[in-house]
Amino acid sequence: MTVTVDVTAQLIAQRIASTIDPVFAMIDGWRDAVERAIATEPEPRAASLDPLIAALVAPELERPGSLITGAGFVASPGFLPDAPWHLAWWLSGANTFRAAPDAGLRRLATVNDPDSEQFRDYTTLEWWRVPERTGTRHLTGPYVDYLCTDDYTVTITTPVMAAGELAGMVGTDLYVARLERVLLPVIRESGHPCSLVNASGRIVTSTDPHRATGALLRLDGLVDALTPLRDAVTATDAAALPGGATLVPCGDTSLALVLEA
Amino acid sequence: MPQTTGRGDATRAVVFSPLDGAGRAELVEQRLTDAIVAGVLRDGERLPSESELARSLGVAVVTAREALESLRDKGLVLTRRGRDGGSFVTHDRDATTRMIDERVRAQSRIELRDLSLHYAAIAGMAAEVAADRASDDDVQSLVEIDERADLTTPGGARRAVGRFQLEIAAVSQSPRLVHEELRLQAETGSLLWLCLREQDYRDRSRQARLDVIEAIRSVEPERARRVTTDHIASAVEWLIEEKVRLEASEPPEAPGPAGSPEASVAERTEGGAA
Repeated sequence: MTVTVDVTAQLIAQRIASTIDPVFAMIDGWRDAVERAIATEPEPRAASLDPLIAALVAPELERPGSLITGAGFVASPGFLPDAPWHLAWWLSGANTFRAAPDAGLRRLATVNDPDSEQFRDYTTLEWWRVPERTGTRHLTGPYVDYLCTDDYTVTITTPVMAAGELAGMVGTDLYVARLERVLLPVIRESGHPCSLVNASGRIVTSTDPHRATGALLRLDGLVDALTPLRDAVTATDAAALPGGATLVPCGDTSLALVLEA
Repeated sequence: MPQTTGRGDATRAVVFSPLDGAGRAELVEQRLTDAIVAGVLRDGERLPSESELARSLGVAVVTAREALESLRDKGLVLTRRGRDGGSFVTHDRDATTRMIDERVRAQSRIELRDLSLHYAAIAGMAAEVAADRASDDDVQSLVEIDERADLTTPGGARRAVGRFQLEIAAVSQSPRLVHEELRLQAETGSLLWLCLREQDYRDRSRQARLDVIEAIRSVEPERARRVTTDHIASAVEWLIEEKVRLEASEPPEAPGPAGSPEASVAERTEGGAA
């Protein structure tokens, strides 16, 4: 179905994509670097990989004005012989999670013993499950991340491959509040009541004061119209919803603009 | 990164997060006591060192030391010297049961009801908002938490309640409700859900969980709230009845030896600290 969308809406959708694209490009760069490092080592080990991950993510985590608050590499169970379950994840100084008053860049402490009461099987979580299934990048959230950022968060993860096998994920966390500060001025320019939603129809930010971040946007036909975004298909065609609203996908971010009449 | 399964870790994080207000040894001691009694900190577990504890709680080292000394005096912590030394949690079931009973006795009815009201305000609101904001995936994760629940022991049933309530708070999409839920669980979980010592209440808590899931699935915010607050209200009613029983069995003027409560109390508290 072809829908006529005013040019402004398409431009706004593109600008939202171009705000997030650098984060995607950065993660893709990390993935390439990790895949290269793994390919050159006969038996990659956590001990040699961790300093590489730290060197990759630290500059971006410490860059003033950076959108990201946490980043790193999470290994497939059993991939690293010296660390069967392994998270090499760093938090920025702006990340308040379990932070001492003057905390700077620091590594996330994790429990990697499967017999421990505190152990978590991260392969059951959306940021692992979905990219594992689709083989491509996934945006999880917004959601309250009570174990890593302690705040309302979006997580982006992408698979790292080694000889056709999944070696793990590289990824990053972004605070929704920071994202909103950047994205809201952009969507305001549409002149319509306009909401940015994820592929489940959850509101990331909206120009309509009655549409709360985190709420589900309940519009007829919206869930169906978002199906291609949930299936990680790059959808660029706008769709008209029965109630008169228009859905405009934002590039390959899996986010979409919903413009109401 | 999202972690839907790690409630234990999150409640632990609250235990070692900075204290509000003036750093006081009593506050440190109370927080660690609650965590040990609730089983958040496990038997034999090594506590952070004095200086680590002081840093993570935002208090002076001398304050942390004082708190650890009090915990040692209460028999909740053991300190070993040497290379593998440190302070370790000693989780004695009888001692824990006694301590919980003492807390029930020490708190007035007004305090117990106020505590449950505070918790119901947080948990009820979280359930109400969650019913409006839950995606299909969210409902599914609530169903899975319920299916994993171990209702054969009080500890298992209480962990299930804690995990479920935390997930409800997360589904509400509110970081503040999540924080408050975690804080209240660490502070009051062992006390409020004491009724889960009884199988009947464990079954009832399961039913409440299923009702809340159903209310969320069918987007009925008011019903989700009501089921949640009714569940909490019944827990505090049991607690106050237990307080009456405890007071009747042991007059406060002449406390008997702590190891010999009446048979009915001993039966009821069996496994209460699991």
